[in-house]
Amino acid sequence: MKKFYSYPFNRWALLMLFCWPFSLLAQDDALAPVSRTYALTNATIIQAPGRKIEAATIVIKNGLIQSVGKGITTPPEAIIIRADSFFIYAGFIDGLSRIGVNKPKDDVSKERPKDPGNPTPERAGITPHNDVRTVLNPTEKSLEEMRGIGFTTAHVVPYGGMLPGNGSIILLGGTSADAMIVSHKNSFYSELTPAERAYPTTVMGVMAKYRDLYRQATLTKNYQSLYASNRAGIERPSSDRILESFYPVIDKRQTVFFKAEKVLELQRVLTLQKELGFTLTLIEVKEGWDMIPKVKASNAQIFLSLDLPEEKKDEKKTDEKKADSVKQAEKPKSAAELEKEVLEKRRTDFIAKYVGQASAYQKAGVKFGFSTLTAKSKDIPANLRRMIKAGLTEDAALASLTTTPAEIFGLSDRLGTVDNGKIANLVISDKPYFNEKAKVRYVFVDGVLYKQEVSEVKKADANAKVEIEGSWSVTTVTPQGTAQSTLTIKKEGTVYSGEIKITGSPLPLPEKLTSIALEGNVLKIAYSISIDGKSMDVKMDVIIDGITFKGNTTVASETFPVEGKKDPKF
Amino acid sequence: MKKLIILFIVFISFNQAQAQVQHGNVLIKNGTVITITKGTLENTDVLVKDGKISQIGKNIAAPTGYTVIDATNKFVMPGIIDAHSHIALTAINEYSNAITPEVWTGDELNPFDISIYRALAGGVTVSHALHGSGNAIGGQSETIKHRYGTLDMDVLRMENAPRTIKFALGENPTTHGRNSGLQPQTRMGVEFVIREAFSEARQYMETWDKYNKEKLVKGFRGAPPTYSLRLETLADILKGNIILHCHSYRADEINMLLKVCKEFGVKRLVFQHVNEGFKVAPELAAAGAMASVFSDWWAYKLEVYYSTAYNAAILTRNGVVTSINSDSGELIRHLFHEAAKTQKYGGLSDDEALSLITINPAKQLGIENRVGSLEVGKDGDIAIFQKHPLSIYAIPMITIVDGVVRFDREKDPDDMRIYVDPKQVVDIPTIQSHDHDHDNCLRGTEMFTNKMLGLN
Repeated sequence: MKKFYSYPFNRWALLMLFCWPFSLLAQDDALAPVSRTYALTNATIIQAPGRKIEAATIVIKNGLIQSVGKGITTPPEAIIIRADSFFIYAGFIDGLSRIGVNKPKDDVSKERPKDPGNPTPERAGITPHNDVRTVLNPTEKSLEEMRGIGFTTAHVVPYGGMLPGNGSIILLGGTSADAMIVSHKNSFYSELTPAERAYPTTVMGVMAKYRDLYRQATLTKNYQSLYASNRAGIERPSSDRILESFYPVIDKRQTVFFKAEKVLELQRVLTLQKELGFTLTLIEVKEGWDMIPKVKASNAQIFLSLDLPEEKKDEKKTDEKKADSVKQAEKPKSAAELEKEVLEKRRTDFIAKYVGQASAYQKAGVKFGFSTLTAKSKDIPANLRRMIKAGLTEDAALASLTTTPAEIFGLSDRLGTVDNGKIANLVISDKPYFNEKAKVRYVFVDGVLYKQEVSEVKKADANAKVEIEGSWSVTTVTPQGTAQSTLTIKKEGTVYSGEIKITGSPLPLPEKLTSIALEGNVLKIAYSISIDGKSMDVKMDVIIDGITFKGNTTVASETFPVEGKKDPKF
Repeated sequence: MKKLIILFIVFISFNQAQAQVQHGNVLIKNGTVITITKGTLENTDVLVKDGKISQIGKNIAAPTGYTVIDATNKFVMPGIIDAHSHIALTAINEYSNAITPEVWTGDELNPFDISIYRALAGGVTVSHALHGSGNAIGGQSETIKHRYGTLDMDVLRMENAPRTIKFALGENPTTHGRNSGLQPQTRMGVEFVIREAFSEARQYMETWDKYNKEKLVKGFRGAPPTYSLRLETLADILKGNIILHCHSYRADEINMLLKVCKEFGVKRLVFQHVNEGFKVAPELAAAGAMASVFSDWWAYKLEVYYSTAYNAAILTRNGVVTSINSDSGELIRHLFHEAAKTQKYGGLSDDEALSLITINPAKQLGIENRVGSLEVGKDGDIAIFQKHPLSIYAIPMITIVDGVVRFDREKDPDDMRIYVDPKQVVDIPTIQSHDHDHDNCLRGTEMFTNKMLGLN
């Protein structure tokens, strides 16, 4: 039998290869701007879904929107941004994620406790008293990524098991954890996630434990208030951080945010809500299209996931098939092939249900926000476009990104629209945001400007002539951090040779490149590394643009973006 | 506390009121009707109105809007009931502790499990979705109706079926205990674990009763006892509110549990597997305990070597309410064959043999007033067979639940999946075989054992 929790070799090797000394690139210590007043002039401003003004100006002062409209005079101290032909929206609000939240260090929690039936609350994933403010990190990488696609606010929760802790609303910018906070203890975050190798190991275990704790808390809360009314002569109730965390939920002063991706999870969460009676917001819903009546009946608020299953990719093949359909027609399909086609069609139909979920909720008149807990930031704009293509209106999509979450969090007075007096959270794109070619150019968070670099991607060109000989500084971006390496290429006659050295790696590098192929401006190199006697192949495909290159590197079937810059010759 | 319980009950009934169970109207014409409890009737019609059997007789005219099924030359019997199954569940074992009565397989129901449809194709309309046998006191279990096609977990539940719970004796809980270095590691350990749990529950009950009584006195100001869903559930067993289903093989451990249950006043007791039941049949009968057995399946571990295919017949002849169960997504498809084996091994009559998969398992689940025989007023759960169900040539043709046709051999589409995984790679279909060499009760615990031992 396979080792159950052995760390996959590939992953481990990846860590060895790229992430030895975490060479995190520190964010540039930019100079403070000369003024905190900005004027964005002559732009199309979508103040709220369905409320658009053209050729208008926004003035931002002290982190707030001071004025919006036509014919506004710009204050003399304002930094003016000519936003002609740009589109300005209220910054997007993420219903729930862990951006900006430090991930706990691996992985004490997976060790088997002495008595798996009675683990510590922490080991069981029961930490409802945790506060996400203690684990916020203003330099966490995903903050920048999400800002880059227009998100300026997020409801974030700590990592953990079934009861990870309290969530807060944060701004995706700020110099300290406290500076990021808009409001805190917004949610009592819950999941149906079992503990590993300790009680509760199943969803039914989690649900039993949830009921148990909730009812215990109801009793201790009643007794505490009895005690508070007259302390003399009765036993002092003991303090209990876990049970006390339930009190605001029982009093309905705090909402339970429950993750419910799958259709059965949704039903299970709704079962718990019905039994225990808490106020509920459903999070990261992916398979909710059949549950609309149940969701409506529960009065729960809902955030749909911005993660979608991938579209089928073999469309090109179909085109090719069509091209020689004459040949195809001659050969009848086998029964197995026909069956496969039917099965594939069912799968495609089902993918369409995921994509159409948002539209289904809109048609049913249920307001919803979006959450990104399991979504990759780079997929989000495309996923929104897929939902719109499947019937979601652009106004509804925008509402779900702005006004609806602001309402759900009770922050409509501060966030969600481009109106006077609101927090200056703005996203500025060069085309309407939901246009495929739109790029976010500027983002304001709390009145602070973040410029987005728009780089044109160089295209592969078989006729281009580039010079690759020399030494290149290569930067690889992995989820664990950024790795630096040095690539050296020599040319003798027409034959290239080279080697690569990863900075700070403990591996016996430099490694000789096993292949170097240059076609036009496309460079493909390969090398292999040996870790613990096992050999792994690494491939790097990049497009050269003068003295820089961009592309991907693939190792152990994982692909990471890579960039290079030629070192000056001495 | 009372308030809590009342609240809980209110919520449960609210739940059930909300579950939209589909009830059908159907007339089955001119079949050989095997009622199980009231003889076999030739050329007889069965009328199901709004999900309930409303009439059994000859020449019943079809009211308008009723589905009419011609059962000429066919056999009409009550839907088969499986008292021990693990289908339609996303998890079976909460194995981390020796005692987990607070968990409930009703929280793990999976209405999308294709096994439900396969069971329907074997004429099975009700099954007992049991917790596994990884621990001495396992979880509460759920009796489900095979309303395949529903998306709703709540619709799968058999409304108002009594609560049940799984216990386990012998090798399963002790092997698990030894592997993990925890109690129980021996059969005497199992007995101790159960006794200790019942004793604690008794104490818990008394403490709460005392508190609830004191609370009635005006001006009482005291702390409530600590609430525990675990002890609450065990107390419910002692109060007789939960039917105990116990995984067992050997005569000695069966005797042990009979004794423990007698001491603690637990009366509703069903033994599962019970391969050595034939040795203690009179004792089981005297205690009013029931038995749910395999027809002829044994020797898959040491404690199951002393077995016989006459087990069901011997138990039946000794007056023990006996059923034959599947414990398997495959066996569940031919329980009628399993029942027929008791005619070769023990010479049971047709009604006795068919009782093993109808009215007897219904009694073991406490639902005999609703299902298990064809009688006016009972649920319209019906299986229609070509050839007699005890014949080796029997073929289930149509299966009806609450008057709704849920399986029809004539209309049996290829792809009966309800939800499709968008990530699943579709390949040319292949036939898979599974080794069928052990019971399924420990599913989910293997990993745990290996993890505990650090095995590969």
